[in-house]
Amino acid sequence: MTYVARKFGFFIATLWAVVTLNFLIPRLQPGDPAEIMVKRLAGKDAALDPAQVKAMRAMLGAPDGSLWNQYVTYLGELVHGNFGLSYTYYPYSVTEVIGQAFWWTVVLVVFTQVVSFVVGVVLGAYAAWRRNSRLDSVVTLGSTFLGTLQPFWIGLLLLYVFGYTVGWFPTSGGYEEATPGFNWPFIQEAVSHSFLPALALLIVTPIGWILGMRNTMIMNLGEDYIRLAKAKGLPDRHVALKYAARNALLPSVTGFALALGGVLGGAILVETVFDYPGLGRLMGEAVENKDYPLLQTLMLLTTAGVLVANLAADLLYGVLDPRARRAEG
Amino acid sequence: MTLLDVRDLSVRYEPKASRPLDAVQEVSFAIEPGEFVGLIGESGSGKTTLGTALLRLLQRPGRISGGSITFDGTDITALHEDDLRSLRWRDVSTVFQSSMNSLNPVVRVEAQFRDAIEHHSSLRGEAVTRRVRELFDMVIIDPKFMTAFPHELSGGMRQRVNLALALALDPKFILLDEPTTGLDVVVQHSILENVRRLQSEQGFAVLFISHDIGTVLDLSDRILVMYAGRIVEDQSAGALLREPLHPYTKGLLGSYGDPRAETVKITYVPGRPPDLSLDIVGCSFAPRCPERIDLCLEKTPPLEPLNGGRAACHVAALQRRDGGAERFGEPKRGFVGPQFVKTGDESRSALTNEVVLSVEHVSKVFERRRGFTVTRTEAVSDVSFELRRGEVTALVGQSGSGKSTLAKMITGVESPSQGRIVFHGPQGDKLVSGFKGRALRDYRSDVQMVFQDPYSSINPAKRLGYVLSRPLANYQGLRGEQLRERVLELLERVALTPADRFVNRYGYELSGGQRQRVIIAKALAVQPDIIVADEPISSLDVSIRAEVLELLSDLVKESDVGILYITHDLLSARMLSDEVIVLNGGKVVEHGPTLDVIRDPQDDYTRTLLEAIPNPF
Repeated sequence: MTYVARKFGFFIATLWAVVTLNFLIPRLQPGDPAEIMVKRLAGKDAALDPAQVKAMRAMLGAPDGSLWNQYVTYLGELVHGNFGLSYTYYPYSVTEVIGQAFWWTVVLVVFTQVVSFVVGVVLGAYAAWRRNSRLDSVVTLGSTFLGTLQPFWIGLLLLYVFGYTVGWFPTSGGYEEATPGFNWPFIQEAVSHSFLPALALLIVTPIGWILGMRNTMIMNLGEDYIRLAKAKGLPDRHVALKYAARNALLPSVTGFALALGGVLGGAILVETVFDYPGLGRLMGEAVENKDYPLLQTLMLLTTAGVLVANLAADLLYGVLDPRARRAEG
Repeated sequence: MTLLDVRDLSVRYEPKASRPLDAVQEVSFAIEPGEFVGLIGESGSGKTTLGTALLRLLQRPGRISGGSITFDGTDITALHEDDLRSLRWRDVSTVFQSSMNSLNPVVRVEAQFRDAIEHHSSLRGEAVTRRVRELFDMVIIDPKFMTAFPHELSGGMRQRVNLALALALDPKFILLDEPTTGLDVVVQHSILENVRRLQSEQGFAVLFISHDIGTVLDLSDRILVMYAGRIVEDQSAGALLREPLHPYTKGLLGSYGDPRAETVKITYVPGRPPDLSLDIVGCSFAPRCPERIDLCLEKTPPLEPLNGGRAACHVAALQRRDGGAERFGEPKRGFVGPQFVKTGDESRSALTNEVVLSVEHVSKVFERRRGFTVTRTEAVSDVSFELRRGEVTALVGQSGSGKSTLAKMITGVESPSQGRIVFHGPQGDKLVSGFKGRALRDYRSDVQMVFQDPYSSINPAKRLGYVLSRPLANYQGLRGEQLRERVLELLERVALTPADRFVNRYGYELSGGQRQRVIIAKALAVQPDIIVADEPISSLDVSIRAEVLELLSDLVKESDVGILYITHDLLSARMLSDEVIVLNGGKVVEHGPTLDVIRDPQDDYTRTLLEAIPNPF
């Protein structure tokens, strides 16, 4: 119980620190966003008209008052889920913009991460158990080769072959004519649009899990409890799964939770290549357009995602590894 | 019918990167049902490899390269794993050396019994639980620990659980591979008692592998002695004790003595075991053997029947032939190599030298803070004693007795919670209390330490000359020719001669005893007033321990350094120290001149420690 409470305590404290930094950093930067906006609209060399700046500030809802007051207001807005307006998609609010992209990314990346993890861990465990077998060599060498490739590059290749040359899959976007929502035509379109980006990710992401699992498992195979399990005359399957893989899985589980946390950052390059309407593409746009409110919110979302994942990993570890509960609890 | 019959068994390791190595060479022996056989050997003798081969658990690059293993009439040397599986645990079980790790850390203890029991028997469900409870009773553990995870058990309890696990299916044969190494002496004692009782009740056969001849002698019917991959002697325990045949066995026996005797002599075997990846001509023990004759260097002695047992020694065989005694001398019972002698008079020297450090009513309380709760543990409680120049004080106690905490306070790393420690140095008195930074560095030239493990405390990438020159350059600012001279002097002082040859060698080229000499030389480099030696011999092979004890003893005689010797072994305390302090639970339970404490122990704990010393004589 204390273990859980402690982990929650750390979570809350870190989250607060992240939120505060997210508030402070833009305010410590020189320059006034309203002035920058006006300059951008009017051209670099145009003289600044105070009236324009004031109008812009009003439009952006730029805060004033002391830093402390701003901070309190900021926290209040956060609680109400109000993150301001996006410059790029003006007059839509950041919440609306992100809300649209959110599910695209979550479905695509969570799906590929889960599949990659399962495939990776199973292959890695098998390769370790049958070390130096043909399958192990194929898996290890193949992984090392594919691991050097980048998903966006594979994406370009897939796009060229299956999008343009063969024309089996659409080349950009998330859907075409269907109305977004829970209806058959839309799901069909979304799946066919997501297929290539998912494939691009699926070719590369399992590799980390394969190699990681293989290494930990090989290390665990040298442990005395494995030797004892063999001396007990248990069937190989039992030793491999209940003794070796069960222990080797522990670090991978933590890694997996963290990887899921990173999902909210989106797969920027892959989404950009496929013009996929997810958070990654959105982040690319926000950077390009100096869309501070959007960028800041995406950052906040990403860090919060990592923090939640971290918490989940810690709690899960406590369940999976009885030693963690006592050692830190 | 013979239960286990091993014939000409050889095990070869063929690593890709280095020369192949025959870890076990043509070993033959048999074990009868219900027999308790001990296998003694020191590190690197191949005893664990032999055990692993018997269980058919060798892993690449190791493999059985010759000979056969027959268990209960079945040749298992090359038996397929599937057929082997039905034999495992039901007939042959084991307790491993480092049983700290031999339980699956993420599974409750009971489940680890359950999988073995269910796989090999028809017991299921509640019946398995009952069986596990019965087994827990046998090894005297509260059955409430059945649902515990391994890390929730103490080392001793884990080892008992492993023993219970080995007994789960009433096997015919159990291999015990150093089952109590690393455990506290008192715990070791009670576990081995337990093993002996269960063996006589249930009648399983045992091969008990250990480096500790004392425990092996205590428990076994028959003893095999292994050296450099071969069995060099095979005798019943009684005969081995009365008339050891092989000089190596004599050396092992000679490493022990009775600490209560007026004069205690312990011997040591100089040198180190051979490198098994090189071809050895003649007897592999010959280079270290004091009884060696020319034949030993030419021809490998076979393991031949001798005196009702077997031995692989030319000299022993020749001496026992008709008329052999005249040509080769009477058989010698003891080891005729170097020995370290301590007389009662030496031990009785009055404690009159100048006091160099006084510990006055020192206590140490550790606080562990977690959230709002603070746990206090009193590691040391109201301890007082004095260290004198040119004398050795032994601090004896088991793990957790507070001896390491006390050592940390004396070396200035921790500060006492109560009381004070005063160092009476040449520059006047100094209050020792948790030094930091520069003060700690300065204090290091007054007090030096020698640690337990000589294998990891020498930088393997540097030559000995460099290793020894560092403290000299750092603390005494020596340079150039002066520095070199001093390094050679240090090597001479710890008897690493000729010194100019050792200067250019690396730590890993030396034997354990020689390494510990280097560590001692390093400690001496800064000319300290006090040396704190924390279990300096406990990681060394028994046959070379006296070598280091003798060196420390000579140092004290020749200089005015005061030594605090920390140990759990009363025999070495007797050999080395003038005064003994026995610590238990942070308190001094016994304190006095060494002979008095050892001959007339007042505390139960001291008596248990004394009983734990193997006494082959």
